[in-house]
Amino acid sequence: MNSLATLCNAISTATGRALAWLVYAMMLISCLVVVLRYGFGISIIAMQESVTYLHACVFMLGAAYTLQQGEHVRVDILYRNFSTRRKALVDLTGTVLFLVPLCLYLLYASQDYVSNAWTVRETSVEKDGIPAVFLLKSLIPMMSILLLIQAIAEVVKNLLAMRNRG
Amino acid sequence: MVELIPILMFVVICLVLIIGYPVAFSLAGTALLFAAVGAVSGVFDAAFLAALPNRIFGTINNVTLIAVPLFVLMGIMLERSKVAEALLQNMAAVFGQMRGGLGVSVIVVGALLAASTGIVGATVVTMGLLSLPTMLRQGYSPALATGTISATGTLGQIIPPSIALVLLGDILSSSYQQAQLDMGIFSPKTVSVGDLFVGALIPGLLLVLAYISYLLVHAWLRPEDAPAIDKSLLPDTSTAEKLRSIAAPIFLIGLVLGSILFGVATPTEAAGVGALGATVLAWMHGALNRSVMADVARSTLNVTCMVFMILIGAAVFSLVFRGFGGEELIQGFFDAMPGGVMGATVVVMLAIFLLGFILDFIEITFVVVPIVAPILLAMGLDPVWLGVMIAINLQTSFLTPPFGFALFYLRGVAPDSVETSAMYRGVIPFIIIQVLMLVALAFWPQLATWLPQTIYQ
Repeated sequence: MNSLATLCNAISTATGRALAWLVYAMMLISCLVVVLRYGFGISIIAMQESVTYLHACVFMLGAAYTLQQGEHVRVDILYRNFSTRRKALVDLTGTVLFLVPLCLYLLYASQDYVSNAWTVRETSVEKDGIPAVFLLKSLIPMMSILLLIQAIAEVVKNLLAMRNRG
Repeated sequence: MVELIPILMFVVICLVLIIGYPVAFSLAGTALLFAAVGAVSGVFDAAFLAALPNRIFGTINNVTLIAVPLFVLMGIMLERSKVAEALLQNMAAVFGQMRGGLGVSVIVVGALLAASTGIVGATVVTMGLLSLPTMLRQGYSPALATGTISATGTLGQIIPPSIALVLLGDILSSSYQQAQLDMGIFSPKTVSVGDLFVGALIPGLLLVLAYISYLLVHAWLRPEDAPAIDKSLLPDTSTAEKLRSIAAPIFLIGLVLGSILFGVATPTEAAGVGALGATVLAWMHGALNRSVMADVARSTLNVTCMVFMILIGAAVFSLVFRGFGGEELIQGFFDAMPGGVMGATVVVMLAIFLLGFILDFIEITFVVVPIVAPILLAMGLDPVWLGVMIAINLQTSFLTPPFGFALFYLRGVAPDSVETSAMYRGVIPFIIIQVLMLVALAFWPQLATWLPQTIYQ
């Protein structure tokens, strides 16, 4: 069970660390768009859309890493004074009761939505846009799967934390 | 009884949030549990939830929201590369020899740089760590020092460019469309994040001026509370170097704001340029290496994912809330309320003020504003004015003892020698300034609406 959690954590860490670098790509490309438009009167739709793609990858696929890092914001008026064991109980309950159902529901609800987009190989509404909207929509189930993977690690971590102190 | 389920939902979600599981998942999970029970017992139509993937895709495709990670990147870069710290030190060196000068420096730096994280706690903690020890060491009274820091740390939230305003502007923009469609206007006027930035500028600057005036008057009346700083503790740098280190970040913020103000760039584009500018400043400061860059990128990703996950959680919540007839319930409540649009505004502001004790800016923007804003806007309120009122109101809430967020977080980083009662005392003058600003805005809405109308005519 422990090695499974280690594997799950490793997946989240690797994806998060890799995705983080994309923020610099977003920064550079959006500056390039500005320079080309205001400096040279050129606007390339695919280039503008690529920032949207990068942004979407960052905030959809990075959510699991953020979960692992404990950076999803909490209302911690009470939580911060809880004992380690009680914190683990809150996190375990939340993961099982809230997070996992959300991910499963998103997987279920996006099934048709995404497969329709794949069937027609949905493209951008703009003529010269990036013809891969079906990939963009696929981020929804991908996010759910990554979050589920991290949820496994969280469950194991919290179970161990609860057992440690009796 | 079924009509009252939305109220039950709201109460339950507040209770669930207090327990402390991450907000985004609590919002979504609680709503899904309600939906499941409702669907099984036949009082909830699951078709309401079917719109969820499309709502998420709407967020993915939203170009305005790309400004969020870019502004976050800008802010975190300035902080981690210690450009912000150098700015504060050098400003203190220039102005600190005047009574109250150090406090003024803290206000200016806070207003300029505390804007980009969007989480009240994070900003106040950063400002607290950055300036509280220095202020105390220089002999500032704990009350004045902590009051200044909590007020400034929250002020950054409402001074453009702040991500709180980006998020609020985006929500108001769609609320405004919806309000006009509901009124049967099919070629609706629009309001943008840029409008809100410009509208928040004058009230924000007035608040900065009021804070500074208060501090100077306090320092003049009671010099022992805010003494001129000891020269021997100043960093030993040349005047030219000091000025450069002050001018560069101010130029950067000016560039970002100016390009939005004069319509040269959209907030998203300005955010990109601002992030690059901050990176260049970090490089000039000699702080740009691989480990800082990785650290900044990871923090940016975490804040971004936190914000957008709440957006998704709030989307689930609002779909279920709507499915249970929550909108009609709120609408009916407003219709039955005496006092017309002014009464409704006061009630909403009061509710938001109280919710500010348990929820942060982002949650209120995503959960509460989409429910109440279309109704208020349909009553004829100006969207920019409403946005500025909500922002300043929330900032006041974060400052108000004993529940204000800012005080909690500052308590966490303040040394034990600072008494909590001193913190409460210190923040009161700033709360009075805030309330006066809200009253002024209520009587003269032009404070918020004049500049955007003038610029974008």
